[in-house]
Amino acid sequence: MATDPSSVANQRVVETLASRLRRRQVVGSRETALETVLVLRQVISKVRFSNIDQLVEIIRSVGRKLVEAQPKEHTVGNTVRKVLHHIREEYHTASQGTAVVSTSKDTLSIAKFVLQGQPRKQNVPQKTTLNKSQVMLKENDEDDPDAFARTLKPVLMEAIQDVLDELETVYDNISKNAKDHIHSDEIILIIGKSSTVEAFLKAAAPYRKYTVIVADTAPSYSGHDMAQSLSSAGISTVLVPDSSIYALMSRINKVMLGAHAILANGGMFAITGSLLAATAARAHSTPVVVCAGQFKLTPQWNLYHEYGALDFADPSSVLGFEEGNLVDKVDVVNPFYDYVRPELIDAFITNDGDHPPSSVYRLIKEAYDDEDYEL
Amino acid sequence: MSPNTSSSTGKDKLIVDEEEVLQAVILADSFNKRFKPLTTHKPRCLLPICNAPLLDWTFESLALAGVQEIFVICRSHAELVKTAIKNSKWSKPGAGLKIVPIVTAKETFTPGDAMRDIYTHGIITSDFVLVTGDLVSNIRIGDVVREHKERRKTDKDAIMTMVVKQSGVNHRTRSRGDSAVFVIDPETSKCLHYEAVTGYPPKKYASIPREILNEHPEVEIRNDLIDCSIDICSVEVPSLFQDNFDYGDVRRDFVHGVLTSDLLMKSIYCYIAKEGYAARVRDTRSYDSISKDILARWTFPLVPDDNHPGGHSYEHLRGNKYIAKDNSVILSRTCKIGNNTLIGSKSQIADNAQVIASVLGQQCIVGAGSIVRNSYLFDGAVIGPNCVVEHSIIASGVHIKERTRVERGCLIADGVVVGPQAKLAPFSRLSKRRQDSDEEDEEFEDAEEEVKTATTEDEVDSELEDVEANQDPEALAKLGPGTNAIIWPLPTVDEDEDIDELEHPDNQRLMRIGDNASDLVLSDPGSITSSGQADSAVISEFQQEVKQSLDRAFAEGHSVDNAAVELKTLRMASNVSLRLVREAVIAAIVSRIKIMAGGGIPQRQEIASMISRWGGLIDKIGGVDPVETVEILQEYCASSDRLPLFGQILAALYQDDIVDEDDIRAWHGNSKSQGQGVKPTSLQDNYNKCWVTGAHMIKQFDEQDSDEESEEDSDDGSESRDPVVENPVTKELPSAGANSSEENSCEENSDEEDEGNTDEDDSE
Repeated sequence: MATDPSSVANQRVVETLASRLRRRQVVGSRETALETVLVLRQVISKVRFSNIDQLVEIIRSVGRKLVEAQPKEHTVGNTVRKVLHHIREEYHTASQGTAVVSTSKDTLSIAKFVLQGQPRKQNVPQKTTLNKSQVMLKENDEDDPDAFARTLKPVLMEAIQDVLDELETVYDNISKNAKDHIHSDEIILIIGKSSTVEAFLKAAAPYRKYTVIVADTAPSYSGHDMAQSLSSAGISTVLVPDSSIYALMSRINKVMLGAHAILANGGMFAITGSLLAATAARAHSTPVVVCAGQFKLTPQWNLYHEYGALDFADPSSVLGFEEGNLVDKVDVVNPFYDYVRPELIDAFITNDGDHPPSSVYRLIKEAYDDEDYEL
Repeated sequence: MSPNTSSSTGKDKLIVDEEEVLQAVILADSFNKRFKPLTTHKPRCLLPICNAPLLDWTFESLALAGVQEIFVICRSHAELVKTAIKNSKWSKPGAGLKIVPIVTAKETFTPGDAMRDIYTHGIITSDFVLVTGDLVSNIRIGDVVREHKERRKTDKDAIMTMVVKQSGVNHRTRSRGDSAVFVIDPETSKCLHYEAVTGYPPKKYASIPREILNEHPEVEIRNDLIDCSIDICSVEVPSLFQDNFDYGDVRRDFVHGVLTSDLLMKSIYCYIAKEGYAARVRDTRSYDSISKDILARWTFPLVPDDNHPGGHSYEHLRGNKYIAKDNSVILSRTCKIGNNTLIGSKSQIADNAQVIASVLGQQCIVGAGSIVRNSYLFDGAVIGPNCVVEHSIIASGVHIKERTRVERGCLIADGVVVGPQAKLAPFSRLSKRRQDSDEEDEEFEDAEEEVKTATTEDEVDSELEDVEANQDPEALAKLGPGTNAIIWPLPTVDEDEDIDELEHPDNQRLMRIGDNASDLVLSDPGSITSSGQADSAVISEFQQEVKQSLDRAFAEGHSVDNAAVELKTLRMASNVSLRLVREAVIAAIVSRIKIMAGGGIPQRQEIASMISRWGGLIDKIGGVDPVETVEILQEYCASSDRLPLFGQILAALYQDDIVDEDDIRAWHGNSKSQGQGVKPTSLQDNYNKCWVTGAHMIKQFDEQDSDEESEEDSDDGSESRDPVVENPVTKELPSAGANSSEENSCEENSDEEDEGNTDEDDSE
């Protein structure tokens, strides 16, 4: 007897995460991604299913619930898609018996794609020869409905562990090549506090001597924390107000941005001020590189048409609540994110290699299954 | 959040959790009638704000703060509240909240009564959060609770932490009618003094006990705080309410009482929230401003497009417009949607209609060419074509027919039909007439009546009947031919009705939606006199009480000591200055002295016996200041018919050692004693006469000093009394010519007055 997908979605763990997401008690792309994987693992370890479709449907319903709770935290949906992709992959491997030469993660890059052509997914269904020596996957077994789940669950857990591992090592993997991107005596402009950018810069610090200019990033002023953290790591750091970004741009060799979500068209959502920096960089033809984990790749691409997609926070950081006289007369708009167009970005540095914005759609196609674009 | 938590450790965890369960108590009843008539069939906490019931906003605020167990104290319409809770998403298993509705007795009229009820239920096991059922907040109350608990470890007497939010004085969310002055120690954030402030009549002064300024080198006196009505209370708080049965309001009575009490030795702290938003829907005005705050996203993440407590989803558009996401809203191509607007699902807005800064519920219809501005339409409200609705609250199912004008400040209750072509006066309040309701409606109402408890129903009934009985047909005619409405009268005060200053209609005007109360604020300069009147009221009351107390003492022959103790308590109770007490005592004693018809010896004896019996009281009231005594005596005599007795009384006081020579000299030397600066000239004359009498006495002293120094020493009391006392009356002693003439006039005057007095006595 399979578990009813809707009842799974109402499970306590799911409900808890959904409400925490809704209440913004879990924030930050990586945090939310990790929480999502953990919840999915908990759900899968408990549910009963007798064929792959049921399992997929269960996970999708959980994913739907979480995404609805917080549509602006795109990594939730991405993680669910990623897990689904891995599950299908494992399922195919198990049902085919013979281990398909699985194109592992590190081979997924534009370079490899050009060399090898279509990735494995399209090849998989053609291989129908089953290795009888392998344990047979019995789908829809009348006598023992749990047999399928029993055989598959260990591999599923492994697959989820893979996703988890990837998330946990994402900063290391991104900053692996840091010293190839940062050269000595470079001046790099960064904005806001992004853990990815922070790890990336710190990884290059032992090898290169360079200067980082950190913008204040009003109204959150997260640039202050960032500057503190970088300078304590021994990087020469300069903190400047946002207003001087353009003035300084002629001296800057590279603009380095973090991302909230990378859209399929190559554009991205990033902390407010990123658009300002990217546009100023364009005026001076300064390269703009974005450091982001692969889990930020989002299959949607036309989100920027929606005004609300930028996620507007409360006005208090812009106009203090104590300014009683003004509150009634002034409408304050305080967006969390800027949408940065693909034309303004030169490269994405991910844990999956470096890519230009124009090939992001390929990355997405490799990372997720087409049928999951809409959860 | 680790999935590795196996079931075996899960049990232990549960126990630990049980100890740390954060409890909250919601007072779901408002204990006032500011939303009438919207609240005749529905408790205030179930009124929607931004399309979700207030109670849901409160639950969400608490859930955001990590509260796990909530007790909802409901009184009126308790069954409705219970059903609402049962049907809400909060009672689903996944919600992580345990909500227990508690219905209190009908005799619960104040929050204090509710607190006593909590005490008797014995539900509180640890520190708890006390909020009202109309709270909208995103403050991390968990942090405040932690701070409170930390403080409790060192200071066992810290029983409460009040959450306040800094705002400007003119902030729209800060209640103008009901605010407070907080005196806070900035270092420890201990609340040292609390004084409630009513908006009208405007309060000009706050009195801060001197001890506070003595004990604390630095204090903040603040009137710019929004009181969020979020209190972190210790277990003792309900029991304190139980002990002090007269505590009604949590702030005005409890906080003020605890802080001013010398016996309780408890302390209350303030938490000035730097981040986050919290406010209470106290009245229609704050309903308006909090709606606007929600739409302006001050309550983020509690905003319509993100974490809407009602579970609706809205799309956020440029200019803080929120439109239901399910594509069921029909907006005409030519309609205009202004900024800060929320439109619920299945609503329709017709051609050329304008909706500006308003909230529309579900299935609302705005007819062609209508204008809805700054207004709140609940579910299913229908506005006909070419209407104007401004600054009003229109409840669910209301039908406003074409060409109707609803002016600012109107409250229209459920199911009212108005129009066509009606014109509603500003601030009118309408509800549906019950007699006119057709059968279907009656059935519905019957069902409702069954649900409701008898007492509330009676209450509502009697009030409704009252209103229905007193309808002005002319005013009704203006509401259009198709109306089923009754008009609620504007609130007035009966002369004999003892109404709380807070609930006074003038003060309530500051809390009304759409009321800028400009005429009230304009009357500001006059307020100084009015506050003076309030003071004088206290004083005259005190004087009355002293008089009564002394009357009793005289009549029943109390000892001077007993009377003094009584006076001291009175003084403490009404908190007046010592001089006032002295005035009152002297006035009481002097007025007791009978004026003898013939004057002379019997008069003197009368005075002497009175002063020797009661004169001691003057010095026993808590301080000795003979100069002041003489001043007061002069003041009293000058303004009463006992002017001629002044000299004799003064002499008697001198004899009884209540005043001595030096005091009289000191008084005499004082310019004020000559009546300088006293306004009415007649009074000044009287002052002068007294002064002259005093001058006489001093002269006598001088003579005595020079001539009879040794004699006086050897004389007994009665001997020495005679010349002094006789002096003003009998004029035996030599005096200067000028003085004697004045003396004469004085004498004549006093004789006349004496006669007048006796005449009066005769007539009586």
